[in-house]
Amino acid sequence: MSLLELQGVSKAFGGLVAVAEVTLSVDAGQIFAMIGPNGAGKSTTFNLISGLIAPDGGRVFFDGVDVTPAPPAARAHLGIGRTFQVMQPFHDMTVLENVMVGELFGHAVPKSLAEARRDAEAICEFVGISHLMPRDVTGLGVADLKRLEIARALATHPRLLLLDEVMAGLRPTEAQQAVANIKRVRDGGVTVLLIDHVMSSVRDVADRVAVLNFGRKIAEGTFAEVARDPDVIEAYLGEEESVH
Amino acid sequence: MLRSGLYSLAAVGLALSVGVIGIVNFAHGEFLMLGAYLGYWLYVSYGIDPVAAIPLGAAAVFALGAVVYRSAIQRVLRAPELNQMLLTFGVSIFLQNLAIILWSGDPRVASVSYKAQAVSVGPFTVGLPQLVVFAIAMTLTLGLYTVLGRTRIGKAMRAVAQNRLGAGLIGIEVERVYLLAFGISTALAGMAGLMITLQLSVSPFIGLLYTLKAFAIIVIAGLGNINGVIYASLVLGLSEAVVEFYVPQGGGWSEGVFFLLILLVLVVRPRGLFR
Amino acid sequence: MIPRRAVSAVLPAVLLAAAVAFPFWADRAQPYYLQIAINIAIFAVLALSWDLLARTGQLSLAHAAFYGLGAYASAMLTLRARVPVPVAILAGGVFAVALAAGLGVLTLRLRGIYFAIATLAFSETLRVITNQLRFTGAATGLVVPPLLGGARVAQYLVILAVLLLMVLVSWLVNRSRWHFAFTAIRANEEVAASMGVDVVRYKVLAFMISAFFAGVAGAYYGHVFLFISPIEVYSLAVSVGALVAPIFGGLYTTLGPVIGAIVLRAGEEVLRSTIGGGYLIIYGLILAAVILYMPRGLLGIWAAIVGRRRPS
Repeated sequence: MSLLELQGVSKAFGGLVAVAEVTLSVDAGQIFAMIGPNGAGKSTTFNLISGLIAPDGGRVFFDGVDVTPAPPAARAHLGIGRTFQVMQPFHDMTVLENVMVGELFGHAVPKSLAEARRDAEAICEFVGISHLMPRDVTGLGVADLKRLEIARALATHPRLLLLDEVMAGLRPTEAQQAVANIKRVRDGGVTVLLIDHVMSSVRDVADRVAVLNFGRKIAEGTFAEVARDPDVIEAYLGEEESVH
Repeated sequence: MLRSGLYSLAAVGLALSVGVIGIVNFAHGEFLMLGAYLGYWLYVSYGIDPVAAIPLGAAAVFALGAVVYRSAIQRVLRAPELNQMLLTFGVSIFLQNLAIILWSGDPRVASVSYKAQAVSVGPFTVGLPQLVVFAIAMTLTLGLYTVLGRTRIGKAMRAVAQNRLGAGLIGIEVERVYLLAFGISTALAGMAGLMITLQLSVSPFIGLLYTLKAFAIIVIAGLGNINGVIYASLVLGLSEAVVEFYVPQGGGWSEGVFFLLILLVLVVRPRGLFR
Repeated sequence: MIPRRAVSAVLPAVLLAAAVAFPFWADRAQPYYLQIAINIAIFAVLALSWDLLARTGQLSLAHAAFYGLGAYASAMLTLRARVPVPVAILAGGVFAVALAAGLGVLTLRLRGIYFAIATLAFSETLRVITNQLRFTGAATGLVVPPLLGGARVAQYLVILAVLLLMVLVSWLVNRSRWHFAFTAIRANEEVAASMGVDVVRYKVLAFMISAFFAGVAGAYYGHVFLFISPIEVYSLAVSVGALVAPIFGGLYTTLGPVIGAIVLRAGEEVLRSTIGGGYLIIYGLILAAVILYMPRGLLGIWAAIVGRRRPS
């Protein structure tokens, strides 16, 4: 059953075409990865899915419902959650309070403060940042900030979680931990769509991969399949990452 | 209509400071106001025509701008934008009220000898002072463009405006460029103030008005777009003239035109009309 | 040593009792103090209203617009339509809310500086227009009928009640889910929206509540000091005061704006006798000083002092 469906979605900024007629379908329970060289349109696609920008053409379906006109907050209530590549925790709030925002506002039925606090604490526990809960967000390290990002997104209890380059800047052991965590999240019933550049992690975590280049989807399949695809290899020629 | 010249001179300094330094200087108009008072004082005490006072005025306001930059502005360059805004706002309040304390809130008028003279330009009669102001203001504005385009320091400023980090990497002393840019931007405002002395009355309150109009102009031109300032000034000047002419009692209403333009542009085309 | 909890429970009650008893003493002993106190209370309401809006990241340079509109609407209603003064004051607040709803929607997409510029320009334009219209008395201003027949003690108690109400609203907002919404919006609107916060609703609501109290404060001012004119109620001094008091006292808190208002207004009384027309200069200096050297305001300094005394 497809949870997320993009049908011919396009977006251009001024004269620059960022996304061109991308069609893509993510099934419930999958871990789906979007990869591609820099500037391929992956982040724009994320913004189109989460509702921060509206497409010029095409439609976005979530669980069979056309969400194309829906604003970001409505999509959060429907069950789309996301992290952000440039980590921006809410300053002037503690780690726990950051997560509580998701619990308080991320659901169609509002929770009480006490309930939101309890549930937020549980999320922090799950993600592994319980020891940081009363701390101010300034001065947190990269790995902790990433976990906070994920905790904030999970706090909205999404059915689809968009992960935006969560592996970037992680040491290999941290990256392995992240892969394990993503699988735990999926096992908990959340479908995952992720963007990333760290190919070893993508290979380890993704059930299915789509490759974008210059705004178009040029390949889709398992990691092994797309790694062999000649168009994909050509798109990456000259890139630092080698696709093993 | 001729006021567009004055407007562009008043606004181009602000555009420079926004474009090169990245700071929206709420106190910009106060430097204009101080320049105007300087012009008034020089004329009343020494009989120096504001036009002749331009070099002296520019230097004086430049120095003041440098002092303000060093003591206050420099420290908030890396702070959040809202802090910068509040700081320059505070400086603006400070300068405006300093003027009130020193020179009282009453408007002063410097009557230059040719104030009432008129000149025929084609089918129109225009006041001589207005014409002089327009000519000088335009010259100075275009002069700035030339400086930016041709001189080393101008190119350095443009480089910093485009890419601060890159400019620093290729050896441009960014801090010095900032100081110079700020000084020049206030000096330009000061010169505009001298032009005000020539044709209008001087009071501590004109600063805010010109700050707002300068904002309107740089918003219309697109923030950081120095080249578009002249066209944007024309837009403002024309709109005000139209309102004055066609709206009954238009004189008062035309003072509200800049706000409408600000709102309109920010809502409809936030990147400005002349990018 | 008196336990802290006892102090923080008893102290507000003591202060409140003192505040209520104050006018009765002052009316007989030092009536001028009573007038200052009323002035301070008005200012405190204005400061709290500004702070409330600031919590959503919308730093308004235009609170004079709401203050002034409240003053003029209320004055006009009592003068031209014979509306009773208390009703007119509330109506002044309502007019300000209507204005805020409109302005709020127009400026929704404007961030930070753009928002501030737009509000400042708006306030200035309102002043200029009011200066022009004969309908509102143009530059000469309006003479305004008094509230409660001019009985200072009663007037003081009314504004004290309004202030207490505003304090309650501010305090409640800070302890409820609204606090989370406001702070998230202030930090990052897009991320907040992606987490399900209805950004538009909260921003406009904050604007409207803030404007209501600012409008009531302005209307109240008119009916107590019996004269309004564009240069007074729409002046930059009002907008500046509205923002310097909370910044000086401590942003995004309930106590901060109140303390800031008290210190600034009391100080202003002292200064006016020495400096006269340019006393606002102090506001400029304080604003710059706070931004440069004490970003958390007076409350921040207090917290630092208290924090250092406690053993770690």
